[in-house]
Amino acid sequence: MEKIVACQTCGLVQQADDVPKGSVIKCARCHFQIFHRRVDSRVRTMAFSLAALIFYIPANLYPIVTAEYQGHHIQTTIFQGISSLFTLHQYFIGSLMFFTSMLTPGLKIIGLMFITLTLDWPHWKKARTWVFKIIRIIDPWNMLEVFLLAICVSMVELGEVATVHPGRGVFSFAAVVVLTLLATLSFDSRLLWDSPTERKL
Amino acid sequence: MNEKLPLLPKAQVGKGHLNWLLWLIPIAAAFLCAWFVGEDIIFAGPTVTIYFENADGLQEHNSLLEYRGATIGEVGILKLTKDRQRVAVKVQLDASAANIARQGSVFWIVRPEVKLGALSGLQTIVSGNYITVEPGNGERTNQFIGAETAPIKPVQALDIRLLAPKLGSLQPLSPIFYRDIQVGEVLDCRLSDDAREVVIHARIREEYAPLVRMNSKFWNAGGINVHIGLFSGANISAESAQTLISGGIEFATPADFQNAATNDAVFNLNEKSEDEWEKWSPAIPLHSVPEAMKNKSTLPNLKNPR
Repeated sequence: MEKIVACQTCGLVQQADDVPKGSVIKCARCHFQIFHRRVDSRVRTMAFSLAALIFYIPANLYPIVTAEYQGHHIQTTIFQGISSLFTLHQYFIGSLMFFTSMLTPGLKIIGLMFITLTLDWPHWKKARTWVFKIIRIIDPWNMLEVFLLAICVSMVELGEVATVHPGRGVFSFAAVVVLTLLATLSFDSRLLWDSPTERKL
Repeated sequence: MNEKLPLLPKAQVGKGHLNWLLWLIPIAAAFLCAWFVGEDIIFAGPTVTIYFENADGLQEHNSLLEYRGATIGEVGILKLTKDRQRVAVKVQLDASAANIARQGSVFWIVRPEVKLGALSGLQTIVSGNYITVEPGNGERTNQFIGAETAPIKPVQALDIRLLAPKLGSLQPLSPIFYRDIQVGEVLDCRLSDDAREVVIHARIREEYAPLVRMNSKFWNAGGINVHIGLFSGANISAESAQTLISGGIEFATPADFQNAATNDAVFNLNEKSEDEWEKWSPAIPLHSVPEAMKNKSTLPNLKNPR
């Protein structure tokens, strides 16, 4: 069946044939891929959020930094950092840290996994929409953790008296940040409201 | 509508990529995490528990176990034992130091110590106290009783006992001189069993051990000696600036010296010297430097470590 499609990249309207499975349509002018819904959106989101979920565990259990300050040997995980901020009565920064680096990545990963896993199920459509709304709300806050990391690193660099080794936690945390970013990027929100027949296109 | 369609360009058909490759990302993530955990389990040495009477200065998860200046373990948690007599210190050893967990290993806490004539552990004032160890060679074990102080190394030396009516200014680490050269030191001082005199436990270094003969005379060289005589006038003498503060012992051996002193030989400590003693100058051949000391500068046999 022939249909008329518009290229998302250069805007050229063109006609396209049905393509066999495993093949893709490419624009006649700019040769970019033309898609009805973002390419492999569901599989990509699932894969990225699963990888992020796996990294979320060592990111929280392993120390972010191992600092050696005048012979004192201090290892700090994210949670220890937050709780020490609270004991120092830095409630605002402590809760900011908690929300941006522990709560929001976790919520986002679980939310994306929930949506992609239950997508074929006709029920819970409303729940999926709600979860998507929450993800949309916490998304900008999620970006904050990147800045927070940058601030942490600069603070560490300032203290030249201390020798600081990045722990495994910070590597895992960076992986969580990148993978959740990729998962959100590859998620096509239109999938939420597509009927099963529409999704086949 | 059908007439317009041919005017539109025709989209191309290209080959799609394999989307199952995406699943390699979570698999790689799982492998990496498994490696993190595996490294912790495989490359971690055993955990040992050391019971100290006083774990003062140790910090949970922060203090280190060091041996010859290398970090070979980390202190985990500190816990009071049920009978409240000791503190159980869990130490996670590095894999390279798994051999330390043997019976006979002695663990003690290095603290700053300031004593006259000896400062030790000064680095711990800034760096915090740490645990160190003298490895043993017994069976493998994970439970140790921590020592309060560094064990006195079994060195080749001559240990003698001096009896004195009063301790005076002597104290552990007070020097022992022969012709004003330090040849040994006081290890400890205590009252004799019947409290009638003071027993001073002294150690003479091995190379100087032949100087001590059974008829050697020891006298207290600390403090200031003041002689005021009718004809000689005032005579003030002190052995050295150090002995003024920390006290000291001097000894001399007569020309007709007897056999070399044996370990735990007992001598009297005189309060002051007699002029005659200071004139004695017998010729006594000294031990040469022991062979073991010479070998210290050679590289250890790395291929066959003990």
